[in-house]
Amino acid sequence: MVSAPTLHVVTTEIAVGSFAMAGFAFLVAGLASHGWFGLKRHLQLADHVAHFALAFGLLALPFAIMTGIQSSPGEGLDHPLLINKMLLGSSAFGLAFGVLLARRNHGASIWSSHLGRRWQALGGMGAVGMVLLTASLGGTFARGESLLSWMPVSFDTVPLMPLWFSAGLVLVALVNMGLMRKQSST
Amino acid sequence: MKRFSLTLVVLMLLLAPSLGSANPNGVGSGTFDAQCGGACHGDADMNRSSTATVVVNAPDVAYEGLLTSVSVTVSDIETTTTGLLGFFLLSDLSGASDTPADAGWTIVSNSEGGTENYVEAVIASGQTQHTVHWTLRAPPVGLASLHAAIHHGSQDGSDAPFFGASSGPATIDVREVPEDLPRLAANFEPTVRRNVGESTTMTVATEHVNQVTVEWKVSSGEVNTATVTSVGENTWSFALPASLQPVQIEWRAHLEGEGPDQTTPWFQLQSEEPSWSVDENAAYVQSVAMLLVFMVAFLSLQRRSSAPSKNFDPFDSTEDEEVA
Repeated sequence: MVSAPTLHVVTTEIAVGSFAMAGFAFLVAGLASHGWFGLKRHLQLADHVAHFALAFGLLALPFAIMTGIQSSPGEGLDHPLLINKMLLGSSAFGLAFGVLLARRNHGASIWSSHLGRRWQALGGMGAVGMVLLTASLGGTFARGESLLSWMPVSFDTVPLMPLWFSAGLVLVALVNMGLMRKQSST
Repeated sequence: MKRFSLTLVVLMLLLAPSLGSANPNGVGSGTFDAQCGGACHGDADMNRSSTATVVVNAPDVAYEGLLTSVSVTVSDIETTTTGLLGFFLLSDLSGASDTPADAGWTIVSNSEGGTENYVEAVIASGQTQHTVHWTLRAPPVGLASLHAAIHHGSQDGSDAPFFGASSGPATIDVREVPEDLPRLAANFEPTVRRNVGESTTMTVATEHVNQVTVEWKVSSGEVNTATVTSVGENTWSFALPASLQPVQIEWRAHLEGEGPDQTTPWFQLQSEEPSWSVDENAAYVQSVAMLLVFMVAFLSLQRRSSAPSKNFDPFDSTEDEEVA
């Protein structure tokens, strides 16, 4: 019988591997969309790889989270690292999903826009960076060290907002989303 | 529909390990029957026999409702991947309704700083013996038995659960309390946990006691004497010093009165780093908020910035000049 920690390693490797590939492809796509370093001819390939790998990583992410929860000792969110991991992970998920939706809404022309191509590349790389940082926090929690331990950022404190403020943000985001859909349909 | 079924099958396969395999990271202290009621291991048939030796040590005589000390010593401990070793104190080995409480005992403390019959200890690599102590309030008069059992993993990475039990029970003759026996009050509950850096003032209620002396020690350390003051009729108070790091202090009282002098069992007081807690609802809602805010913010950003340039075909490979 395969235990949850073993499955967590497998799903994490799938997710992190996909995101790492997506991050590199977004970098290439960003450079290619500007025509830098003679990479223009690789834009289509980098665009497809970046978004496909990002989508695949997002599909693998829930499984990594579920197996991670099953294999973690103790119960509940009893460590600041776990809270920060959850907040960072959900932010990364939202940003990555936004990047994919933007690509779906605008199509390949997103690379034609002066600002759009920059935001798309930066958004993709940002989401990937946040996911990798999230994965790194898992290593810090389980083993006390990770590849990103050298970063001068401490995750021992939790920037927790009041419940009413978070609920307000959810409401604002939902209203914003509804307005965007309404404008798109008119 | 086909896609949904496939997703459902994959989800079930992913969730299955938690239902059917051991918990190599342990389950934490708790009140469990011998087979954990399914909490520790999914199926008792999966258990293999441990080669460790389990022995219960208990006094021959205890007084009804008074405190007594029982220890479980495990020797020839097998090295495991995580080092976790689970100790059970049980009233029988039937696997159901076999906690000490089911036989009328009340656990007051254990040496891991809790009040449960199951505790998990981390065994260092190479360590072959470990002892866990329990302080219990004795059940009604009669012959009482206590068994011990252990659960642990292995080192071969198979995550197979191992089970071991004491070869025989410890039998305790529980007697009625002599009328003038110096003793702790029946409702006395010692403090078993505290935070690092905090000193502890313990108030002890007694019966038929004229004088109390208290000894304390850090586990396996030198025995010290605490100053005891009387704070009322049959009520005594003494202070235990603060600890600078997570450590266990043990203390016991010598009770003198008209009846024969009595010495209580060693009580354990575990000091721990202050526990960390957070409003989980606020954390979950913030998590959802951040997900939505990042997604919507990015979509809004791209909506404003993605007016396509008319002279630029993104996938035209012949156009290789710098465009921004």
